Amino acid sequence: MHKSIVIDHLCRVEGHGGITVRIKDGKVADVNMDIFEGPRFFEPLVVGRSYDEVAPILMRICAICSASHTVASLMAVESALGIEVSTQTRLLRELLVQGGNIESHALHLFCLSIPDFLGYPSAIALASDHLQEVKMGLELKKLGNTIQEAIGGRAIHSMNAVVGGFGRPPTREALLDLKGQLTKGLEQSLAAVDLVSGLEIPDFCTSPNIYAALSSDGSGYSLFGDRIALSTGDTKDIKMYKEICNERVVAHSHAKQSLFKGKPFAVGALARIALNGEKLSGQAKKAKDKLGLSSLSENMLDNNAAQAVEMVYSIERSLDIIDELLREGIKQEEPVEVRIRAGAGVGAVEAPRGTLYHSYSFDKAGRLTEADVITPTAQNLANIEKDLRISVENLIDESRESLGPKLEMVVRAYDPCISCAVHLVEVNLDEKRISKKESRRIT
Amino acid sequence: MGKPKVGIYGLTGCAGDQLAILNCEDELLDIAGALDIKSFPMAMSGGDENCPLDIVFVDGAVVQPKDEELLKRLRERATLLVAIGTCAVWGGLPAMKSEIAREELKRKVYGRAGKIFDTTAPQHLSRFVKVDLSISGCPIEKEQLLQSVASLLHGDLPRLPNYAVCTECKMAEYPCVLLEKGQLCLGPITVAGCKARCPSYGQPCIGCRGPVEEANVSSEVRVLKEKGFTWFDIQNRLRTFAAPADCFEDKIFKEGANA
Repeated sequence: MHKSIVIDHLCRVEGHGGITVRIKDGKVADVNMDIFEGPRFFEPLVVGRSYDEVAPILMRICAICSASHTVASLMAVESALGIEVSTQTRLLRELLVQGGNIESHALHLFCLSIPDFLGYPSAIALASDHLQEVKMGLELKKLGNTIQEAIGGRAIHSMNAVVGGFGRPPTREALLDLKGQLTKGLEQSLAAVDLVSGLEIPDFCTSPNIYAALSSDGSGYSLFGDRIALSTGDTKDIKMYKEICNERVVAHSHAKQSLFKGKPFAVGALARIALNGEKLSGQAKKAKDKLGLSSLSENMLDNNAAQAVEMVYSIERSLDIIDELLREGIKQEEPVEVRIRAGAGVGAVEAPRGTLYHSYSFDKAGRLTEADVITPTAQNLANIEKDLRISVENLIDESRESLGPKLEMVVRAYDPCISCAVHLVEVNLDEKRISKKESRRIT
Repeated sequence: MGKPKVGIYGLTGCAGDQLAILNCEDELLDIAGALDIKSFPMAMSGGDENCPLDIVFVDGAVVQPKDEELLKRLRERATLLVAIGTCAVWGGLPAMKSEIAREELKRKVYGRAGKIFDTTAPQHLSRFVKVDLSISGCPIEKEQLLQSVASLLHGDLPRLPNYAVCTECKMAEYPCVLLEKGQLCLGPITVAGCKARCPSYGQPCIGCRGPVEEANVSSEVRVLKEKGFTWFDIQNRLRTFAAPADCFEDKIFKEGANA
């Protein structure tokens, strides 16, 4: 029996992608996550640009993760130029990233993913039967945007976070206002956890995963860290990120794929909870236990639950950051003065969908000579294909009509950001190794 | 007339202008109630990909034959085509260095495996089809979007500003980042609508909304040169978001000829 399942265009994901599955003699022959978002060639575009122009360009790789791109980019520039920012700047940047995490997780859970579990084509359709839940989701999403506006100056493509600090730090009144909204949001995020705990999570894509996430020395759960930790027990300094993200070109995708020691791995909320979950505290820890995420999950559909836990975490952490800023007294400080020099640096942040790396080199005039950006979705692509293959093997007797939506659910669980994945890195490829046969091989 | 049939689509870009629609959290359910949204692939499954549309909103730029095909198909289906975001209106960031051969970029990025991809020089929508309304911005401003939807519901096209960010900035009495702080600000030649967002944070306007009508680019360049900026840096900033705009292409061509 030969059959193929082709999902031309995945809906409710950011960007343009599809799925192709070929089944031959009752066995899965090929599973491809097709990425056909057009390439924009971001890295070559920033070569020659002055150090202060890099973040405003590269944050625009992606709208949903632009806060993470902004902060990773600024950290890479500052590491290259030897700039130390103030504690206040570090806290405000973290707050910006937490705002992005809240917005992105709320968007994914309520608008893109939960409709799958409840059998609706969209959040708008879901609202006809579950108006209160959808309204709550939209309010949580708005909370994330309100933080990004207050700190970054704009919900999408922040312009207030700059090299060395902030154009204009928020006022005490603005922080107090955010605090009030976050306190209300915390209640809503706990209600979101209740909602997610009631969803039935299918297990057709279950298989062992290798997870990777940033690791910090601090005692608390964090979206930052100088080391990369893997569930295999390996750790790497972020400067060695290329040892983890061994990128390869595959013919069916405009995005490159990442492998660690020849194996696919996963990044994102579920990976973070798997590796750093024991550091959660407060309501987020309770939410993790309630959703049964206490052990290493082998089911990527649990990523939705992990996002619900992180929404609680990001709100609690934002409240802590604001308290610390208020305690220390928010200063209307200017960005740190920059002394231009040649140098190279890496910045890494846990973006909503996983670890994001920006790596740059500058010449002595402060102009960019080389840029490399590795996005979470690019790292997840090989693992998505692994999970799609397992799913098809488990569901091989199902009809095309029934299988298609389930495969879409698997892809959607990763919360892929396809625009991000097709950012197009310039790496030194060993061209001889990319024969046509090899480039089409599936892991 | 019933509710207008609407489609919301993205070509190649960061999807930020579609996200800006989803970011109207307080208004989203009302918008969804006032319009008959037939397809919005980023946010809903099972859309109708064939029906005629009264209005189609399109974000992103055309960077590959697939984008061009989809755009032409949407133009055939829709009575009104609205370009949303600077990529759709002016080419945006992808068009920054569109004179560099795509083949060269592909080879650099993908090696030999790049051969199978088809890419073209990034272009804005009006290079391919008639555009009835352009809402620029990177990203678009929520207020302009809502105002435009309200006008379209009344059967009108909205009146969007035809003056510069500099005017908005002066009216709000922000300190001038160009003359007082000596920053490379494009406020005098960039179309208004953002309430001078960047200067309000002490940052220069980097031109993310594209040029204003009859922008005096020569005068802007002269002032920037007097402030000590090199043509290299001025040119880089001019072409960041709207390189294909005639006023920038002409100026860059003339400066190149004089160099």
